[in-house]
Amino acid sequence: MSEMKDMILDVVERMLKENVDKDLVDIIEQGKWASDLWRLLEENGMNVVAISEDNGGAGGDLEDLLNIVRLTGKYAAPVPFIETTLANYLLEQTNLQVVDGLATYMLATNQAFVLEDGKLTGEAVHIPWARHTKHFVTLANSADGIHLVEIDLSHAKIIPGTNLASEPRDTVTFDHALVSQVSAALSFDEISAMTTLETAFQLALMTGAIDKINELTVQYTKEREQFGRPIHRFQLVQQHIVNLAGETAIALAAFNNITDALLNNRQNNEVAYARIRFEESIQAVATISHQVHAAIGTTHEHALHQYTRRLWAWRDEGANASYWADVVATQLLENSGDSLWNYLTDTKQTAIKL
Amino acid sequence: MVQLPTVQFTKEQEQFRLEVRAFLQEEIAKGTFIPKCDSWLSGDDSSFSRLIGQKGWIGITWPKKYGGQERSTIDRYILTEEFLASGAPVAAHWFADRQTGPLLLRYGTEEQREFFLPKIIKGECYFGIGLSEPNSGSDLASVSTRAEKVEGGWLVNGQKIWTSNAHICDYMVTLVRTSPFDGKNKHAGLSQLIVDLHADGITIVPIKFLTGESHYNEVFFDNVFVPDNRVVGEIGNGWAQGLAELAYERSGPERILSTFPLIDELIQELKRQNNTEGLKQASKIVARLWGLRNLSIGVAQLLESGDGENVAIPAALVKAFGTKFEQSIPEITRLLVQTYPTLDAKRKIDRLMAESILHAPGFTIRGGTSEVLYGVVAKGVVTQ
Repeated sequence: MSEMKDMILDVVERMLKENVDKDLVDIIEQGKWASDLWRLLEENGMNVVAISEDNGGAGGDLEDLLNIVRLTGKYAAPVPFIETTLANYLLEQTNLQVVDGLATYMLATNQAFVLEDGKLTGEAVHIPWARHTKHFVTLANSADGIHLVEIDLSHAKIIPGTNLASEPRDTVTFDHALVSQVSAALSFDEISAMTTLETAFQLALMTGAIDKINELTVQYTKEREQFGRPIHRFQLVQQHIVNLAGETAIALAAFNNITDALLNNRQNNEVAYARIRFEESIQAVATISHQVHAAIGTTHEHALHQYTRRLWAWRDEGANASYWADVVATQLLENSGDSLWNYLTDTKQTAIKL
Repeated sequence: MVQLPTVQFTKEQEQFRLEVRAFLQEEIAKGTFIPKCDSWLSGDDSSFSRLIGQKGWIGITWPKKYGGQERSTIDRYILTEEFLASGAPVAAHWFADRQTGPLLLRYGTEEQREFFLPKIIKGECYFGIGLSEPNSGSDLASVSTRAEKVEGGWLVNGQKIWTSNAHICDYMVTLVRTSPFDGKNKHAGLSQLIVDLHADGITIVPIKFLTGESHYNEVFFDNVFVPDNRVVGEIGNGWAQGLAELAYERSGPERILSTFPLIDELIQELKRQNNTEGLKQASKIVARLWGLRNLSIGVAQLLESGDGENVAIPAALVKAFGTKFEQSIPEITRLLVQTYPTLDAKRKIDRLMAESILHAPGFTIRGGTSEVLYGVVAKGVVTQ
């Protein structure tokens, strides 16, 4: 963890608190986006945290960046922050040039972009923010393996779409479009490491949203009165409060552990466990918070849905719990002689460096 | 919410874990013990406790001058995890190691420490915890066992119930009323006395558990004399002293791992069957366990760093969520593999299932019922 962490996080949290409100989050549903907020983040160098200074980075490490991502999740900041920062992080890690301005990415290997003679062909769906971004960083198949490529989105045909939270998720088509940069062929381990990073970024966002939902809900139980007293005084409501607090505590502790693990190159199973566990958390957190908020929480007027809809959308994006459960199941089978306890407590150093 | 610290085990700690594990595996191979579920309640074996004592693995965080090793809370955490994961019979010395030692170190007299701690550390002196009474379970403010001041000590009359392993214990830290009940200040007038369970006037009656075994007991006091030097801390301060120990009692790995031997055997069974789909389902158990363990270790680290003020809520959460988790394991297991649970089964998974099913109802009761814990957490969260 860098020494800058607390300072950076204070600045970012204040910035988001002052500049992101429900109306701003709503604007993406009107087809616009928060260009002022993005400019503010850019001016403060937040989009280049964890990028080395040689490449125009602002210092800080991956843990700092993941914590900023967590805060953007906590405020549902309607900007492609995770997309731009992860795209640049992947570019740097594969010895490519980081890009200036907005970027997005796609890491699924089953969506077949084909790279031939430096030209990209193919179509991918659910690409975040493509219509608002300039650079696209994606995996592509070629005769000699899978590469990470960077290409200008002005070469693409983009059909707008949205996810459950009305965030832009577009269909992107390239037809023999010239790429700007190509990495060396990637090993299976390198691609897995990229997926691990992608999942870690998503977990950071989810943690922020869960934290915020917990805050909104506890606050609501203090303000809302029924039968002559605030609803937190009712035992059955207290059960909801506790279950929500437990899920939130588990999510925050899990997030801290995965960032610590990534920073210290501990075994990357922690990301797998967290992703599997978060899917259960999301279900519990969304159900409980809506039940406690009752009718008002189901309206567009209220801010709760800005977080619950995002959680419902995010849990189906990227490498989901089923993907990671498969990884864990395979590892358990491979460690045939070992007890589960050996497997669980084995903290050997396994670098996920690309 | 409280931000819990993360813990990265040092090389020395990893080494210690492997050392403890190797010892336990060797003892299992020798037949010293048969791994079982819920071994910290139902696995009492005084010769095994003495063996652990010889290894220096009781009271390892305590000062050297009493025979301890002044090791960290995290070292103790690792040790405890290894005992539970291997289903080792640690119940005899468990409560002295977890509660009585820390209580005496914090509130006891020098004479008490010098008298009790070295014996506990050797695995030769066992303590029960005398809190509950027939009409006073989770509502300890209503305790009515009383102690009257007499020449040179106190005369105790009343009854305790649900004292784990009192039948094998030498002493009991007993919460008694030393002044009349005051409805306005229900927590006042309570004190902690160390009662010698071999003293005149003590009657211990075992309570048959639903497995047919007896771990719990009723303990009756009929004019039992307790000398002044067996008062712990201050007279009238029993409530505050008891509260201070709750975070240790509620947040440990024993609130997560009581059914771990069954989880381990479930995974082995699925692996033997090459059942990938079953293992995918079981990965959820691993993920839940990992999530709870992060919380539990985080609380241990907070206690280690002396930041005890913020631990009440996360400690209660660990117990409420952890015990619900360990309670869920037999049901998950039976949906993934076919078992025929019986306590005397030859097949390991059948026996572990039986132990887990029959012990599970107690998990969410002992150490404060979930309902009481929910009250603690809800109030804490709302006033934060």
